[in-house]
Amino acid sequence: MNSIIITRAGTHSTIQDFGRFQYQHLGVSPSGAMDQRIITELQKIIPNHQNQFLEFAYVGPSIKVKEGSVKICVGGNCNMSIQKNNNSQLECQPYKSINLFEGDELIIHNTIDSVYGYIAFEHGLGLEPCLNSYSTDTKAGIGSINRPLNDEDIFHISKDVSSWDLISIPKPDLEKVTNFKVYPGPQLQYFSDNTLQSFISGVFTITNQSDRMGIRLKGESLISSKSHDILSEGILPGSIQVPSDGQPIVLMRDIPCTGGYPKIAILNEVDISRISQLPPETKITFDLQTIY
Amino acid sequence: MYFKGINSYGDRGLVLDFGNETSKSISQEVNETFLNISNLNLQSLNIIPSFNKIVVIFENSKIRDQNKDKISMKMKDTNSQTNKKVTKTWEIPACYNEDFALDIKIIQKLHQITKEEVINLHSSVRYYTYYIGFMPGFPYLGDVPSQLITPRLATPRVKIPARSIGIAKNHTCIYPKVSPGGWNIIGQIPFDIFDLQSSYPSLFLPGDEVKFYSVSLSEFEKIRKYNFSLNELIKEYSS
Repeated sequence: MNSIIITRAGTHSTIQDFGRFQYQHLGVSPSGAMDQRIITELQKIIPNHQNQFLEFAYVGPSIKVKEGSVKICVGGNCNMSIQKNNNSQLECQPYKSINLFEGDELIIHNTIDSVYGYIAFEHGLGLEPCLNSYSTDTKAGIGSINRPLNDEDIFHISKDVSSWDLISIPKPDLEKVTNFKVYPGPQLQYFSDNTLQSFISGVFTITNQSDRMGIRLKGESLISSKSHDILSEGILPGSIQVPSDGQPIVLMRDIPCTGGYPKIAILNEVDISRISQLPPETKITFDLQTIY
Repeated sequence: MYFKGINSYGDRGLVLDFGNETSKSISQEVNETFLNISNLNLQSLNIIPSFNKIVVIFENSKIRDQNKDKISMKMKDTNSQTNKKVTKTWEIPACYNEDFALDIKIIQKLHQITKEEVINLHSSVRYYTYYIGFMPGFPYLGDVPSQLITPRLATPRVKIPARSIGIAKNHTCIYPKVSPGGWNIIGQIPFDIFDLQSSYPSLFLPGDEVKFYSVSLSEFEKIRKYNFSLNELIKEYSS
């Protein structure tokens, strides 16, 4: 038996996978990793990850091997180090597999010029799926672990490390994008040409009131010529909705299942991952795709 | 037929449009269509019915475009009606005791009626389940009798107790778990309606009919103690 203990939970650390589907008509959000590009990359290094990825934001977790040994890999842009069981310190890098032995502690200090990072564990974390997914929706209380991780959470990994070989991939080129090509939203016609012009030519700032549910933007007010109150309808991540204060919100992975605000535009799937990595105060712009 | 057509929603979604109005008959068409489309076993990630729309989400635009024709064909095929009676009719015990009826006085005052009249009116109607949304397992039921139509609370409550029955505008609902919310709370039901351990986690489904009947506090507590599973609840309270 191998086990690890979370010695410092970090901020917003949760278990995520590629999402929970087929339940949105029952009010269950898809959730899943905010930046799905990174867990896609991590699959190459830890193929047997069991879809149990640890997601963290800004301040990462510290993880100590309590018993046995584990093979892991970190993805994202972050500062980290290993405190070995003999008290020596080891440097380590994302996208390179790491073997940790009893007493070793991986310390992820923080993400650099980005928001989210991930850890993949060989053989997973010994969790059971909830509604066919390991993802956590903390607001709805759904998940294999239905809350953020806490200090002293312990995970048991029954299978032993398959091979100590070190595997690495070149650091993926996850370029920072701040101009987003968006598709027209279902309520595009709720906004006048002038307002659409402000949307396209305006600069919007990501505010610190952003989380896994949505990224709130600050910029020129986008007032609807019709109404900011629509009958609730199904929504998907990436939708840019505009409540009555005219400040757009990009809906993210822990999306409310139905929404009652007009949606001016929607991001494509990979741009949801891209925008999730932009820290507060980042300035962004939008380009509206007319043909799609 | 209220169905108007199919529009794209971003690069991987479709919206089936049933107009801008709402009514029980529109929702019946929406929910029947929802079942028809679910039965197509498309490669979709989610199919989400609401009052007058169905949003279908796919993994990417290629799969979306491949499946769009299948949905269009199904919509044109008016002969293929849903196998009838897949929805359930529920008789749900409701305790309107003052410990649970946190906002019943607001409704009494607004409509100048007694507490008993609120209870009788609320439990007199067979409600239609428009759709499930807002939070896991939360049913939008309606329509409430006109003497009970009440706006949402001016200041939403931070913590509504689990299993509470609420009224907002012409709808009534049940909160599956503790939640913030703005509905006027008039009672509570004695069991949970959403169970994550079940692969069919929601007691109510779109299209179900729901009628409440008033039970005393002691009866409420008796049922509460049974700790029914969803399957037991289906046997006990639906037909």
